[in-house]
Amino acid sequence: MLKIKSTIAISDSGFVFDAGTGDSFSLNNTGLEIVRLIKEGKDFPEIIQKVSEKYEVDEESFERYYYDFVATLNQLNLIEKDGED
Amino acid sequence: MSKLTFERPIIQRINAGLPSKYGMPRRLDPISHIDGTSIKSLLDEFGSPLFVISEQTIRKTYKEAHRAFSSRYPNVQFSWSYKTNYLNAVCNVFHQEGAWAEVVSGFEYQKAIENGVPGELIIFNGPDKSTDDLRLAIENNSLIHIDHFDELYELIHLSKEMGERPKVAIRVNMDTGFYPLWDRFGFNFENGEAWDALNRVMASKTLDLLGLHTHIGTYILSTDGYRIAAEKLASLAVKLEKKYGHVLKYIDLGGGFASKNTLRGAYYPGTDTAPSFDDFAEAITSALMSSEIKPDHLPMLILETGRAMIDEAGFLAGSVLATKRLADGRRATIIDVGVNILFTSFWYDHDIRPVEAVSDQSEDTTIYGPLCMNIDVIRGNIMFPLLKKGDHFVIRRVGAYNMTQWMQFITLRPNVIMLDSKGKPHLIRKKESLETINSLENTPEHLKNFEL
Repeated sequence: MLKIKSTIAISDSGFVFDAGTGDSFSLNNTGLEIVRLIKEGKDFPEIIQKVSEKYEVDEESFERYYYDFVATLNQLNLIEKDGED
Repeated sequence: MSKLTFERPIIQRINAGLPSKYGMPRRLDPISHIDGTSIKSLLDEFGSPLFVISEQTIRKTYKEAHRAFSSRYPNVQFSWSYKTNYLNAVCNVFHQEGAWAEVVSGFEYQKAIENGVPGELIIFNGPDKSTDDLRLAIENNSLIHIDHFDELYELIHLSKEMGERPKVAIRVNMDTGFYPLWDRFGFNFENGEAWDALNRVMASKTLDLLGLHTHIGTYILSTDGYRIAAEKLASLAVKLEKKYGHVLKYIDLGGGFASKNTLRGAYYPGTDTAPSFDDFAEAITSALMSSEIKPDHLPMLILETGRAMIDEAGFLAGSVLATKRLADGRRATIIDVGVNILFTSFWYDHDIRPVEAVSDQSEDTTIYGPLCMNIDVIRGNIMFPLLKKGDHFVIRRVGAYNMTQWMQFITLRPNVIMLDSKGKPHLIRKKESLETINSLENTPEHLKNFEL
């Protein structure tokens, strides 16, 4: 299960602050939505369901963008390493 | 309730304390229409990628350039530089506007003739003129601009053999403060070679010396070089009149005016740094007017500017093939336009825009062409909107050199259309097919079959 690092604060507007490193980031709307769902502990099937209810996107495209996005979160050290499956 | 448009999710690091030297990040506004015609509909009809040329823009640019010079000088003539874009439809727009033809090979010369340009209004430049080319140019009374002594002597020989009086000019190269010095074309001014060549032409008595020509460089951002060039050519004209009583018909200042494209690595965009036609015109005409040339002997001023005339009128539209992440996390966008059809991406940071308003966000992106070659980079890094596979883009100011220097390499060359003054599309060059390429090949009989 993916877990966003506990040191991370996310504002409603998509501003991300990592209290551990002092780094800050900005998310776009879909990015914010996904990060929130991950934070709530939702897994991929739940996330895709939520997102496709709200946005015009097919499952295949979403899956592609989702994994690409998660890889970026990983690269930016925003994911708890020991939180991975 | 209708669903919201899905934008690719992104997260970007905020670098506080490191303001960009370019100020606030610039949003790339979409360009959805050219001359009132939807780019999307053109791509649907003619395929992707697609070159689009705006006839309206060519005519407007030509008129602007012509006005800048003719309002300052009594006798101005433009000559369309074929090598910049020799699609017949493009050449003919310039010819309709009144431009002569300026060609640099036998092939281009034939093209101008086939377009219907009278032989005496074709300027034949360049180091490559075969004996047959020269014969034809002499028969047609074309203006032959002599590039080297071998050509000069061949012309003297041909004039005697044919009993004709070839119309010639001498191409002069010179130091105008620009580096590199284009001394490979023509005869040098400073070391006296140009004056020697002129004396040789006058002594031959079989050549009709009509003019002087120079072309100081390309993508020139300063007008001062043109002032120096005009002064130096004027001084030769004065010397000729003094020594031989010979009055020249024209002085040809060539081309090389910068377009509004931005050179790679340039600090300011080309739209801010490129001088206007008025700036170039002021430098050139004031130098000629204030020279020692007698006012009633002022020669016709010929200009062969290509790039600044056509760049703005050319667009290249296409589609996103894929997006991916690079090893360092940056975004890469792969488009269906490669360096083989957008040769100028080696020199310019081309202005590339989305066609549809897909996203308010942008990401640090490298834009790659479709070729399986590492050199195929259209933009090294650009803050670019989040385009997805299948989204469309359009690249501005591609009218100069791309449709002549393009290569059939890995992919085929696409359709080229021209939008007429009413915005109606006309296919002016068909896209290539496998058949186009294979029709030129010949496989020997013993290589026609194989078993695997």
